[in-house]
Amino acid sequence: MPVDHKRINGPEDTVPYSLYTKTNKQSLTEQYEEIRKTGQRTDSRAFSEHRKIFVRTGAVSQAKGSAYIELDNTKVIVSVFDPREIPNRPDYSLKGELYCEFKFAPFSCHKRRLHVQDAEEKQHSAIMKRALESTVCLHEFPNFQVDVYATVLENDGSCLSAAITAAGLALAHAGVPMYDIITSVTMGIQRDTFFVDPTVTEQNICLYPRPSESDTEHGIVVLSKLHTHDQVSQFYQFGNVSLDKLNESISILDETCRELVPIVQKYLVKHVVKNLQRNT
Amino acid sequence: MSKNKELISKIGLRLDGRRANELRRIRCKLGVFTEPDGSAYIEQGLTKVLAAVYGPHEVRGGRSKAQHNSAIINCQFSMAVFSTTERKKRPRGDRKSTELSMHLQQALEAAIKSELYPFCQIDVYVEVLHADGGIYPACVNAATLALIDAGIPLKEYVCACTASLANNDIPMLDISHQEEVLGGPTLTVAALPMSGKIVLMEMSQRFHLDHLDKVLEKALQGCKDIKEILDNAVRLHVTDIGSSTGWANTKH
Amino acid sequence: MALCDAEKTFVLHGVQDNFRIDGRELDDYRPMELETDVVSHAFGSARLRLANTDVLVAVKIELDVPFPESPQNGKIEFFVDCSANATPEFEGRGGEDLAIAISNTLTTAYSSSLAFDSRKLCLLNGKKCWKLYVDILILECGGNLFDAVSIAVKAALWNTRIPFVKNVNIDGNNIDLDVSDDLCLCERLDIENAPVMVTVCKIGDKCIVDPNAAEEHCSMGSVVVAVSGTKISTIYQTGTGSLHPATLTESLQLGFRVAIRLNEALSKVLSRIRPDEEAGFLK
Repeated sequence: MPVDHKRINGPEDTVPYSLYTKTNKQSLTEQYEEIRKTGQRTDSRAFSEHRKIFVRTGAVSQAKGSAYIELDNTKVIVSVFDPREIPNRPDYSLKGELYCEFKFAPFSCHKRRLHVQDAEEKQHSAIMKRALESTVCLHEFPNFQVDVYATVLENDGSCLSAAITAAGLALAHAGVPMYDIITSVTMGIQRDTFFVDPTVTEQNICLYPRPSESDTEHGIVVLSKLHTHDQVSQFYQFGNVSLDKLNESISILDETCRELVPIVQKYLVKHVVKNLQRNT
Repeated sequence: MSKNKELISKIGLRLDGRRANELRRIRCKLGVFTEPDGSAYIEQGLTKVLAAVYGPHEVRGGRSKAQHNSAIINCQFSMAVFSTTERKKRPRGDRKSTELSMHLQQALEAAIKSELYPFCQIDVYVEVLHADGGIYPACVNAATLALIDAGIPLKEYVCACTASLANNDIPMLDISHQEEVLGGPTLTVAALPMSGKIVLMEMSQRFHLDHLDKVLEKALQGCKDIKEILDNAVRLHVTDIGSSTGWANTKH
Repeated sequence: MALCDAEKTFVLHGVQDNFRIDGRELDDYRPMELETDVVSHAFGSARLRLANTDVLVAVKIELDVPFPESPQNGKIEFFVDCSANATPEFEGRGGEDLAIAISNTLTTAYSSSLAFDSRKLCLLNGKKCWKLYVDILILECGGNLFDAVSIAVKAALWNTRIPFVKNVNIDGNNIDLDVSDDLCLCERLDIENAPVMVTVCKIGDKCIVDPNAAEEHCSMGSVVVAVSGTKISTIYQTGTGSLHPATLTESLQLGFRVAIRLNEALSKVLSRIRPDEEAGFLK
């Protein structure tokens, strides 16, 4: 791994202090048990309830289009830049391309992230690209590339889906031709509990199997949807989940994605109206 | 130099039981893959190398690179990360593999009749699966076989071999990894054995100039021996393929 | 690979009629050849040839310190190298995107402790553990890389022998491991639930498994389903194009069914492998 000498990288062998405080893995099981017993999530949401969403466009003035999204504490900013010729490509391609870069800000997580993209961020970039590709009219800008940069300012769970929803909005704001509005929702699964739009703690609960006498299931599912065409543009899951549970989660996520559409729609309409008013 | 251990014992045997002028066992096969235009696999002792040849085809990455009087020979050397005892970090891109790619290209350029393919490119990729000394010679030999399998016209076989000087006196052939580590100079020679031309010569460490002649002669002899082995393999391969079309039964 | 429109239509019509270009049905696999113990100085290795897809996997083991977040777990790392031997497009760093996609999918598929229990790799809580380097070399690409890689990885892990630690001496901060030289005394990994991946490829209105290079070219996107035991451990979509939710469920079902069948077949083959069979490229 090449080391970036221009930045202060911090000591190599440091351990976040939070490992030694009470909120580590042992207590995750207890937290889960408590949630199960009371039937209520820590922020007193229902299990199938999405967090309140706050979106804004035009957060980055240098970018062609940008969007900022907040799901309570999860904060993601996405900027989209003008199409430019695909670099290092000798032959002409009939379709345009998307370039996506997903990045956690160094201060966004409990543990400090490095400036270079790690494997998880690269994976998220690929998923984001995959999700957005089917909503952008790529044939409208042949041999050109649109760059999409997503930066997570604060990670409190579901940042990949937040980034995808925001990227859809930012692309629309940049005036990139699109087929449809894209929305995305994450879900955490732990045994028979479905956490729609999980926070970081809930995500951690779902990362590992909890000791239990019965069959254990756990995992994270991310689904992105194009609403009008009723198409799943991206589906990603990991963990250990049975097929039936997965099918169940698809229908729940499907429903939640649909609920998000009016919010994005309303915001876009507002944006258009504002622009029209300004011009007249 | 030779530390306490002698490279050749008093009765004339080397560490792995070979005589000074003995090669390691060479086994090879042509046409291991279907996708490339030509491919070959070679084992020299424990060193194992796969080679693949694509082309001649149109020059990739812009016509500006194309040469009007000859083909571009493009070589890439890469080593599987598990090929050495200690796991490698990267399969290619380090200085050693770039250097080996270049040397491979030089050796092959001397053998390929590249003037027959103007505006073309020939890709030669070698992949080391197991490194046990004499990587470069194994790569050259594998590449030669792959080029033959691809049906690319060659002036003649290009073979490579290493030689060393043991106990400051006896030249010995085909150095294994163990002998490389123990010290002693290594002379690598790539040659066109039929015409006796040397296309590439490289040497590490030192010995007296007086020894150069006999070590070089030994290395060239090794190249000739390897050529015989490769030639046999090619003939067998062609007979194998040919006989499936029934040509072996036709009498002239 | 370049296909003209007529060729694409031919592939498409074949799939529609449940008769693919090589005569297979929609859920059939191509013939496979599996060899283990092909890399002599690795702790475990396997080579899989699925028609003309060729994958070589070697496992190396090193001593390491566990992550502070998970002191009881060993480490496993996947590294994929797309050799330029497979296609000239992989020259230099050309195969990097594909390699990262495969290695990340493997990492997530093996991440759940129900799929692969890395606690067994831990030697001394928070101090010493084994790190498995699973190095995958792609030598030839004839379509369906994900499946081939997952099978080869599972076989290589099955073949892996972990050195036996006779005893551990702790002297202050110094930890001394006494590793047995005896090859017969080594331990095997439990790979019962190691995931097997199946790529479900959507062509026209139908879903197929084990696409060859031509079929992959005609596909509008595919879903990789990794199944561990009877559970799904990872789902990852590749290619472009979107799916109707009903198609998604359908392809998950198909992938799941085929993966279970594939896993059974693999276990059967692994139990039949004899230690001294001739293996390698010379065959």
